[in-house]
Amino acid sequence: MIENFLAGSSALFGDPTTIAIFVFGVVGGMLFGAIPGVSMLTLAAILLPFTAELTAAQGVMLFAVIYCTGTYGGAITAILFNIPGAPENAPTAFDGYPMTLQGKSGKAVGAAVLCSAIGGVASALIMMAATEPLAKWAIRNIGPPEIFALVFFGLAVASSVGARTIWKGWMSVLLGLIIATIGQDPVGGINRYNFGFTDLAAGIAFVPAILGFFAVSEIFVQAEKKAGGTYTAPKVSMSFPTIVELWLHKVAVLRSILVGFFCGILPGIGATLAAFMGYGEAVRWSRNKEEFGKGKLEGVISSETANNAATGAAMIPLLALGLPGGALTAMMVAVFQMHDLEPGPLVFYNSPELIWVVFAAMFYANLSILFIGLIETKTILNLLKIPFQFLAPLILLLATIGAYISRGLVLDVMVMFIAGILGFILRRTGFSIPGIVLGLILGKIGEQNFAQGMQMVHYDIATYFSRPICALLIVAGALTLAAGIYRAFVPAKQKSAS
Amino acid sequence: MGRLNNSHLIEAAVWLAIVAIFFGFSFEFNQRIEIYEFGATGWPRVVLLLLLLATAGNLYFQYHHGSDVQEGRVGISESSDNDADYSNRSTLYKMLAVLFTPFIFAWLLKPVGIYFGAPFFIALIIWLFGERRIKAILITTLVIYFIFLALFVVILNAPLPQGNMSPFYDYSGWILKMNTNIQELW
Repeated sequence: MIENFLAGSSALFGDPTTIAIFVFGVVGGMLFGAIPGVSMLTLAAILLPFTAELTAAQGVMLFAVIYCTGTYGGAITAILFNIPGAPENAPTAFDGYPMTLQGKSGKAVGAAVLCSAIGGVASALIMMAATEPLAKWAIRNIGPPEIFALVFFGLAVASSVGARTIWKGWMSVLLGLIIATIGQDPVGGINRYNFGFTDLAAGIAFVPAILGFFAVSEIFVQAEKKAGGTYTAPKVSMSFPTIVELWLHKVAVLRSILVGFFCGILPGIGATLAAFMGYGEAVRWSRNKEEFGKGKLEGVISSETANNAATGAAMIPLLALGLPGGALTAMMVAVFQMHDLEPGPLVFYNSPELIWVVFAAMFYANLSILFIGLIETKTILNLLKIPFQFLAPLILLLATIGAYISRGLVLDVMVMFIAGILGFILRRTGFSIPGIVLGLILGKIGEQNFAQGMQMVHYDIATYFSRPICALLIVAGALTLAAGIYRAFVPAKQKSAS
Repeated sequence: MGRLNNSHLIEAAVWLAIVAIFFGFSFEFNQRIEIYEFGATGWPRVVLLLLLLATAGNLYFQYHHGSDVQEGRVGISESSDNDADYSNRSTLYKMLAVLFTPFIFAWLLKPVGIYFGAPFFIALIIWLFGERRIKAILITTLVIYFIFLALFVVILNAPLPQGNMSPFYDYSGWILKMNTNIQELW
């Protein structure tokens, strides 16, 4: 492994063009992740046609680097403006934004920098050491029933955070699931809910919906505060977390690495669910559950470690099985195809130099999060000093471009603004925006794997419980759901008794 | 009525309407799939059934607890506690303008294009957010517009809507011609 890594490193740093592409990916991913309104996906969508001019190794490496640094960059906007740069940063906002309002933005961003780097580096190391055995394990043990069970568990976790009640949590998730059914059904390709719009046959695109629910709705929330005279500018703070503070969270970091890596390794799941699960597990194991969502550093640490830990792991199903784990890894498949390559087991034998350049680049990209992140943090925190009336049009304009660019449809921009209005109303009434987005992202994956799983077991649902991993995940999801419902009913009984 | 109020009932009615509309439209694609027993409607109808149950549970909770937050919930958006006073008409009109201006901008993208529409949109949003100093509005609009042109047109050459009506289309064409001239300088 070390020899391969050194060979990959020398291929990466031995060619000035490859170095320039690497640096562009690192800076571009961080920048597009950290600018509210656009995301790493916007940059990736713009760059995709240009990768035809690069070698296959350079193209895939560029996207892998953007994936690592963009996942971190999205945490900045989540913490400073309550606008997650990507869905995988949504749980970071639960505690990161309250910390900003309390004048602890420096601590939150500092923790995000360090934990993103730790999660990413750990994931890159495991990926380099164990891609092939892990891929083999995944092929043997993970099938559609397990993926469906993990989706169920993930949605149960998402329903337990972010909304005022368990019911509103589930209503949010289910709304996301029903929006995900718009477009062709994943088994028979039958058009569903296109309401007469032919463009809707391809479904609701993730990017506009995510931009609308997160960025646009947050602009509307701030506009409401301005209009109502309750707006207060967030306080800028440059105090970073101390080593002792971070050391106290070592267990949370370790747990999130494991959770993030496990979620990332599963085809189709990706970093979004990893972040939710990392956050959910931090709440579950905490003695002070009530402090989460009010500005607890552990919340930021858990979700940021988990989502970056998933980036390296997400490369395993992509490279070993040819299955992308999210929108950005799906674009990587397109890069492979542009160069007449097919990601899958054969790529390890046919193009080992490509694999190791990508692995080495991901390792160095995660390391550079630490160094560049710490240097740029102070500059980024100054964004808070810009009056919101000047920042809002910039965010809306960038979001418009971000929504339009992926498919070139004005309909997507309209969908984004409708999602923004919907998100604004739902937030005011205590529903969970991250829950809706997770439902939207996992809906198709859940349905597809449920259908494949049912066909596999000849419609005998009991078979799901004879598969240990599947049974464990379903039971964990059911317990999470039951605990939420129990808490919703018990106080009512107590009150009526008294 | 317990602790239910009108807003709870309206909320429940909206969610029930969503369930009813989606259920009604599901008959449009109620086709058999040879290889899959549950067909194209199976999954959405189960989701709708669960949504119906969750709406009923929500109504039951509100009957007992009104708008209270359930014990032990985490990550609740602080914005839900910052309601503006909508009995004040000026606040209401301001919010309606903020909500619908971006939508109108999106609707005008096809005929007008982003190159012509963007500066007006930027200036209007700054004004709607309460800025009244003309100089500040003009300078910020120009700065944002040039950042947009530099990043997405000159550096990234991103394909953006140009409009399909004269003279807006001609203006977009002029911007793109200027960009070509700049690119040729390199």
